[in-house]
This record gives sequence, structure tokens and C-alpha cells, in this order.
Amino acid sequence: MRKLLLAGALVALLAGLSTATAAPELTTAPTATPGVTSKTITIGGTFPLSGGASFYAPIPRGMKAYFSYINRRRAKDGRRGVYGRQIVWKFYDDGYNPANTVQQTNKLILQDKVFAVVGSLGTEHNQAIRPLLNSRKIPQLMVTTGASFWGTQADVFPWTTGWQPDYISEGKVYAKWVVANKPGAKIAIFYQNDDYGKDYLNGFKQGLGNRTNLIVSEQSYEVTDTSYASQIVRQRGSGANVWVLLTTPTPTVRAIGTARALGWRPEQIIINSVSATDGVMKSAVANAGAAFVNGAVSTGYLKNPSNPKYRRDAAVRQYNRLMTKYGPAGANRADTFYYYGFAKGYDFVKLLYLAGPNLTRASIMKATKKINWFNPYMIKGVQSKTTAKDHFVLDQFKLLRFNDGSWSEISNLFKGR
Amino acid sequence: MADFIQQVVSGLASGAIYASLALALVLIYRATDVVNFAQGEMATFATYIAWSLMDHGLSYWPAFVLTLVLAFIGGAGVERVLIRPVEHRPEIVIVIVTIGLLILLNGLTGWIWGAEVKAFDSPFPNETWEVGGVALSVVDIGTLGICLLTVLALWAFFRFTTLGLVMRAVANNPTASRLQGVRVGWMLALGWGLAAVLGAVAGMMAAPTLFLDPSMMLIVLIYAFAAAVLGGIDSPLGAVVGGLTLGVLLNLLGAYVDFVGSELRLPTALLVLLAVLLIRPQGLFGHAVVRRV
Amino acid sequence: MRAPALSTILKFALFFAAVVVIALLPRFMGEFRLSQFTFVALYFIALLGLNILTGYNGQISLGHGAFMGIGAYVSAVLSLGRPGLELYQLDPPGWLPLGDGMTPVFTIPIAGLVTGVVGVLFGIPALRLAGVSLALATFAMAVSLPTVAKRFDSVTGGGGGLSLTLPETPFGWDISTRHWLYYEAWATAGILFVVAWVMVRGRLGRAWRSIRDGEVAAVSSGVSPALYKTLAFGVSSFYAGVAGALLVIEVSFVNPDTFPVGLSILLLASAVIGGLGALTGVIFGALVLEFLPVYAENPPLLPFDFSTQAPSVVFGAALILIMLLLPGGFAGLLRMLAGVFNGAVRRLTEGGRPMPTSPTRRQG
Repeated sequence: MRKLLLAGALVALLAGLSTATAAPELTTAPTATPGVTSKTITIGGTFPLSGGASFYAPIPRGMKAYFSYINRRRAKDGRRGVYGRQIVWKFYDDGYNPANTVQQTNKLILQDKVFAVVGSLGTEHNQAIRPLLNSRKIPQLMVTTGASFWGTQADVFPWTTGWQPDYISEGKVYAKWVVANKPGAKIAIFYQNDDYGKDYLNGFKQGLGNRTNLIVSEQSYEVTDTSYASQIVRQRGSGANVWVLLTTPTPTVRAIGTARALGWRPEQIIINSVSATDGVMKSAVANAGAAFVNGAVSTGYLKNPSNPKYRRDAAVRQYNRLMTKYGPAGANRADTFYYYGFAKGYDFVKLLYLAGPNLTRASIMKATKKINWFNPYMIKGVQSKTTAKDHFVLDQFKLLRFNDGSWSEISNLFKGR
Repeated sequence: MADFIQQVVSGLASGAIYASLALALVLIYRATDVVNFAQGEMATFATYIAWSLMDHGLSYWPAFVLTLVLAFIGGAGVERVLIRPVEHRPEIVIVIVTIGLLILLNGLTGWIWGAEVKAFDSPFPNETWEVGGVALSVVDIGTLGICLLTVLALWAFFRFTTLGLVMRAVANNPTASRLQGVRVGWMLALGWGLAAVLGAVAGMMAAPTLFLDPSMMLIVLIYAFAAAVLGGIDSPLGAVVGGLTLGVLLNLLGAYVDFVGSELRLPTALLVLLAVLLIRPQGLFGHAVVRRV
Repeated sequence: MRAPALSTILKFALFFAAVVVIALLPRFMGEFRLSQFTFVALYFIALLGLNILTGYNGQISLGHGAFMGIGAYVSAVLSLGRPGLELYQLDPPGWLPLGDGMTPVFTIPIAGLVTGVVGVLFGIPALRLAGVSLALATFAMAVSLPTVAKRFDSVTGGGGGLSLTLPETPFGWDISTRHWLYYEAWATAGILFVVAWVMVRGRLGRAWRSIRDGEVAAVSSGVSPALYKTLAFGVSSFYAGVAGALLVIEVSFVNPDTFPVGLSILLLASAVIGGLGALTGVIFGALVLEFLPVYAENPPLLPFDFSTQAPSVVFGAALILIMLLLPGGFAGLLRMLAGVFNGAVRRLTEGGRPMPTSPTRRQG
């Protein structure tokens, strides 16, 4: 008897628990386009807010600050937001684990019912959600990754678009510059042993064309390495005078510091754009001395908000103002990933306008083929442009040289593709 | 040849850091028969405290010393509060407590200080000394020096002081020690405190190169385990020798054996760990435990 | 006073009730919740396996994430088949028995078997390791898996991993894919739960527990530790492999980052929270593993978000507190509650008269 009572109590407990956790979905009035109401547009993305890749975390926060500004200011038509719709921006942490990216993206599309997934970060991560989003005809816009196949596989996955210039293009630009400017070059390459580093490496080799014999040393490192001395001693021993760093921010500083500690000073250092941030350069200078770091070359397409050259620039001033007003408390404005978020936010808002006041998923995808404007956050001349055939939104760089604490532009615009 | 010497010296420097952490592991193992999975995270936490002190204006060496003091207190505290209650329980329980501490500290570090990577100064300038054609890094030599000094100080403590003698007695035979009137509990806490100090030194020596982030010491912990097992989990000398050997070995393997390259350095260390555990579980200098069934 | 064990009838009743609840849940839940509960199912399977190894047999494993990873890769590779892999410009060795691509559901048992074999192979040298050494060795395995997966990229797709086609309800059955995935996972979980229950109740379980409680004594009772410990590894990794296969089917993607070291650590933590050495708490461990990260970061009633580090802090603190205060985990809590409830009911129904222990009470 008492066992039955006990059984009954436990069953009730179990049933109660499960129905409590299985809270029924809030029913909202079905709209023609999910995520779009007369007052709001809901968009979302996934980013590594925790873990080893969390240095990218300022990107969605920068986007949030920019969208907050758009939501408060009055546009030319007198309305706030985009055609009077407030942008609701949701972003979740995937800890750089693609399985989590899928779960969080499911949350965005099934629970938050977003209109589009915007700016999600990571190559494999976007790869993991690409079939899902395309099969449901949900736009996967402006993915944050330098992998190139967003542009090249647009026919297979028509709902997916990229944005930033890809790593292969960037690698090519460095190679072309070396061939043109450093006749006696002996090149040593230090790259991260994953798709990020390998993409850059491939691009670099492609850019060298038939001069790949200029490479005298190729060494890779793992993100788990506690010391690069082993590799860098070998690079030093190869007699190279050009050192190409295809690395992420922290390893870049570590590599430079290690080279200095080992008494190696290659004539020309090339630093990839992801790592050519002010923070990295400052740390590198602190670690290895200005003499070591001065003269390093990189590329850029965004204005550098800390560069004294841009102190009076209208876009940079707006960025600083808006970050103070809408950015997270205590945010480091010199962190270029916030700025990246602004630049992306700008292009996305323009895309929303291009899609028209009758916003549908089809209309925004149509708009992605007609992008053609100049983004004030970009270096002058860099154009956001797509056509029916050319799906790469951004593909231009300027070469930059670092000297005494800041980057200056040393070339005209290079086109990466 | 110069390159080879360079690789060895760099290997010794990395090895010194593994050795310090390995010694901390051995210390705790000898004192309390526990392998502390949280040793690395405790070291990271201490390093963050040092960072905070310097961020608030303290200069390097005062911050260094203060951190050691705080680490000592923290380590002893962990033993008394967390380990003491489960001392006599099955091994798995204690292991899980230390794993829980690992998870907790990792999260706490990220919560308090944020997950972004921070720079940490080295007390040694980033210069090189030319010695016979070999450019030796001052930071490497300094790291090696500090770690060896700490180990030496600890050795002297155990060898020449009464307190050290008492601690050795307790580790050897707690029951007999208790019968002699020794406050065994406090000796154990002392052991954990000293281990935490070692860990803090390892952390502060590693941070300038590795950069400070909540998971900084996780990989170092694995190397430290490999070193401790290689040297013998109950042998302090073994931990030091094991650490230095491992550091040099991995560097040389990575440099001269292409199959290993940099990719397989970590798995190689783990292979060493496994091989030692299987072939000669007591390591190079440890004592064999015979268990006939 | 020890709480009386639940009778077998009661347990059958509970199990039946759980089956009914799980079968009916989809009526009350939206798609996203359903996908979360599918994850609960596969975590449940992995935790069953881990509990068998660590809870019932006393061998600590910090590497079950790696076993899940092996199962996931096997399932992915088999689902794609040689033609699928070649589409990725991968060049798998000719001697691998890859077919032309399989219906994913059939890859599950194969993934389990392969992982089980790997587990046995691991278990044999592991016989020489005890306690902490074993924990270290399994930890080493968990840390190495991503690196090894990247190295053998002709099969695993390296860092970029393998992308599967989106799941579909097979055999032309007429249920939505989301529901299919849910029921697939839970049906597998149910079957494996029953199997586990039979194993731990029977000779296997007794042998395992006797080894856990005292290997020397076990040997003198004629139990061969070598056989049973290796078997425990094999069974446990089989379960983990199945869980990994279900995960890759659910997510349609696998790469080295999908099974990081953190997962192995959290699996052990969840197993402990659920309660080692008992099957009753495993479901709670699975619920915690799936939902704690969500709720620790955005607690439902509070207006602000905790740091993304909050889940780690909660997990770590929970682990320590449970070991200190309630080592039996959730299962231990249930036992205590059952004892209290039992006692209270007895007093109510028997009117305070001391009741002789029922001679017909069946041992649960």
C-alpha cells in the first residue's frame, strides 16, 4: 500500500518536473515573415563569448552598440530604427564548439524565431549550420569568417553570404607585395596549424605563383604549444629575411617575443590583419622593443580608430561617441573588434534599407546581390559591392606599415580577387 | 650546433616550469596521498592575484612575494576546508573533489577577471646574452634560475629545519607522528600551502610567455603530470629531473623529428606518461608499490 | 537507519511512467525544447556508460568525451561512405571498409561496437593502472583526441570536420524529422537503460561492484578482475560511442572541437551529481548537463545575465558540495527521501505500531 503511494508520489513528481521544464511554446500571432513585425526586426548570431577564442567577443557587442544607436536616432524619413522597425539583436555563446553553434542557432530560429542569422562567427561553425539554414530558407548573412567558400559556393547555398575579405585573398596580397618589393627575399612562414592558418598559407602560396621557391622555412604551431622556441630556432637557422606570421593575436605576440629572445631579427615581418591590432602591437613592442617591431607590414580595410591620422575622421569620432553612449561599460574602444562590429552593423543596416519597407527573407536575399556603397568605417576607396556573379562583399585591402605606435597606409588599394 | 644548444636551453626553461608544478604535485602526493587535479588552476588563480596587485600599482618583486604568501594561505585553506573532510574516504571521492575545485577555480578566474587574455610582465628583460655563439634568452635563464632557487629553498627547508623534518616524518608515518604529539593536520595543511607556493612560482614564470588567461595552466598541468610520473610520483628529485628532461626532450623531438613536429608534442608527452605508467609505474626515482594478488 | 530499497514493482511502475511521460512530451513542447531533450537522451546514454565504469566498477574515466568523439566520427564516416568523403576531397585509405553511405540510424550500433572495441583495447593496459593513474591516462586520451583527429585528416576531415546531409525520417515514415530524432534517441536510451539495468542487477553487476569494493577480496571470491574490468571499459565505451553517434546525427556535423576536454570533465561531474553506482539518478545528471549551462547563465527569474563562466562555477561548487555532503548524488538524495517517505507512510498507515519488516518484500 505504502509502496503504491510512494510510486504515485514519485510519478507525480516526475510528471510535474517534466511538464515544468517542457513549458509550452509561447504562441505568437503568425506573421508573414518570421522575426518581422510592424515594430521590430529580430536577428541573431552565435559567437565565442567564452573560451580560447573569446577575443572575438567584442564583435557582437560592437554590433549591439551600433544597432542601439540606429534604434534611437531618427533617420532621414523621420523614423527611428529601419523603416520604423527596432532592431532586436540576440547573440549567444557557443564557446567555439560547432555542436553548441547548432544548438544555439536552433534556439535562435526555433525559440527566438529570428528573421535572419547574422554575423555568426567561425568557419566550421557556420559550416555546421549552413545546411540547416539553407534548407529552411533562413538567411545566413555576413558570416564572420575569412574562409572563402561563402563566395564560391553561393550556388549550392544561396541563403548564405559572407562579408569580410577572405584569408586567401589577404595571403595573396602579401605574396604579391613581397615579390614586388623584396627582390632578395628568403621567406619563413610561421602559421597556426588549423584551417585559419592554412587558408592564409594557401593564399600566400597562390600569390607567389611560380616563385614558391622563395620559401625557405615553413613551421606550424598548435594552440596548445607552451613554447615556440623549437620552431623559431629552426626558422632562424634557415637564413630567412622575411618572416610571415599567419597567427592569431596572442600567438603573434608570443612569436615575436620568442624571436627577440632568441636573438633573431628578420628584416621584414609580415603580420596578418587579424593580429595587427593595436593591442597586439603594443604588447609586441613591450615584449620585443620598438626597434624590432617597427617596419612590420600588414593589410587593412577598416580604418584604425586609434590611428592619429583618423583622429578627426567623422566615422571614427562617431564610433567613439557611440561606444561611450551605447557600448558596454568599461569597454576598450581601441579594441578593433568593436570597430569591426560597427562596420558590419553599418553594412547590415544599409542592407535592410535596400531590402525595402516590405521586408521579407526573399527581399533581403535579393538585396544581397545589389550591394554597392562606401562604408564610412572603411578605408577610403574600399567598396562594399556584390553583383549577381560576384558574391564577395569586400575584397580590397591597403597595405599598412607599422612605425612608432601606429599603422600608416603604404599602398593603393589592392584587389584580392 | 649553436641551434642545438639553443633548443636545449629553451627546453630547460620550459622544463623548469613543468618541474615546479610537478614538484607541487609530488609534494601534495607525498604529504597527503592525493593527486591534486586542481594544482594548475590554483597556480593560475595565484598568478591572477599577482596581476591584480601589479595592476593596482605594486611593483614586481613585492607583488611576487605577497602572492607567494597569499598562495600559501590559500593552499593551506583548501586542504583544511575541502580535503580534510574527505581524507578518509575512497580515493575516487578525493579525486572528484579536486576535479570539482579545478572546474570551480577555472570558472571563478574567468568571472572575476574576465576571459580576455592579459599580458604579464617578466622581471627579466627580453634580451639575449651571447655565450660562445649561442644567443641565450635572459628570460629563459631567469626562469630556470628562479625555479631552481625555489626548489633548492624547499629542499633546504625539508633537510635542515625541524619543521621540515617533522613534515617528512608525518608523510612517512602519520600514525607514529601523531603518537609523538605532532599536529598531523597542520602539517598536511602546511604541505598544501608549500605546494601552492610552488605552483604560484610556476604560474608567474609561465605567464609572461603564455599570457594570462583562465586556462593558461591546463596544458602545463598535463606536462607536469607527465613529468611527475616520469620522475616518480613520490620523488621530489624525480619531479625536477622529470620536468627538465621532458622539456628538453619535447623541444628536441619537435625540432628534429619531423613526424612529431609541433603537432604531436602534446600527444608525445602523454605517450611518455602512459608508457611510464605501464612499464615502470614508479618512474625513474620513485618507489615501487608491490601489490600481489 | 538505512532506507529500505525500493521494490521491483515500484521500479517497474516508475519506469513505465517515465516511458509514458517521455512518449507524450512532444505534444507539449516546441521544436527547440524537443531538440534539447534529444540531447538529454544522448547524454543519458553516455552517463549510463560512465556510471557503469566509474560508479559500479570504480574505474575513473576522464576521457568519455573522447569515446563519444570516436562514435561520432565512425557514424559520420559511415553515413557519408566513400563517395561522400571523396566529395570533400578526402582520400581515405583503401583498406577501410567504407560502404557507399548508410542510413544514419544503422550506423549507431556499429559506432557503438567500434568504440566498444577501442574501449576494450584501452582497458587492457588500463588494468595496470589504478585510481588516479587511470584518471590521468583517460584524461590524456581526452586531450589527445582533437590532435589525433586533425592528424588523420584523410578520414576525419581534419580541422574542418565532416558535414552530413540534414537528417531525414528514414524508411518513408510519416513523422516530422524533429520527432523522429527525439524518438530515435529516447528509444535507444530506453533499450540501453534496460540492458544496463539487467547487467548491473545480475552477475556482471555483482562482479563489477565486488571489484570496486575490494579487488583483493574479489579475487579470492573467484572473480577475475582482468576480465570484468576490461568488460566494463568495453561496455562503457560502447554506450559512449552510441551517444556520440546520436549527437552527430542530431547536429549533422563533427570536428575536433566538438568533443573538447571540457566535455569529458563535465560528463564525470554530471555522473557524480546524478549519483555514482545507481541508475536512478542518471537522468538527473543528464538534465543537469543539458540545462545547467543554460540556466546558470540566464536564470529564469532574474533580470540580468550571469557571466558565461557561471556554469563552471556552479558545476565545480556542486561537485565539491556533493562529495562533502551527499556523496550519493541525486540518487542518494532519492534514497534518503524514499526512506523518509516510507517511514512517514508507515507511521500513518500502521498507526504507530512497530511493523515487522515484510518477509515478502522483494529486493530492488
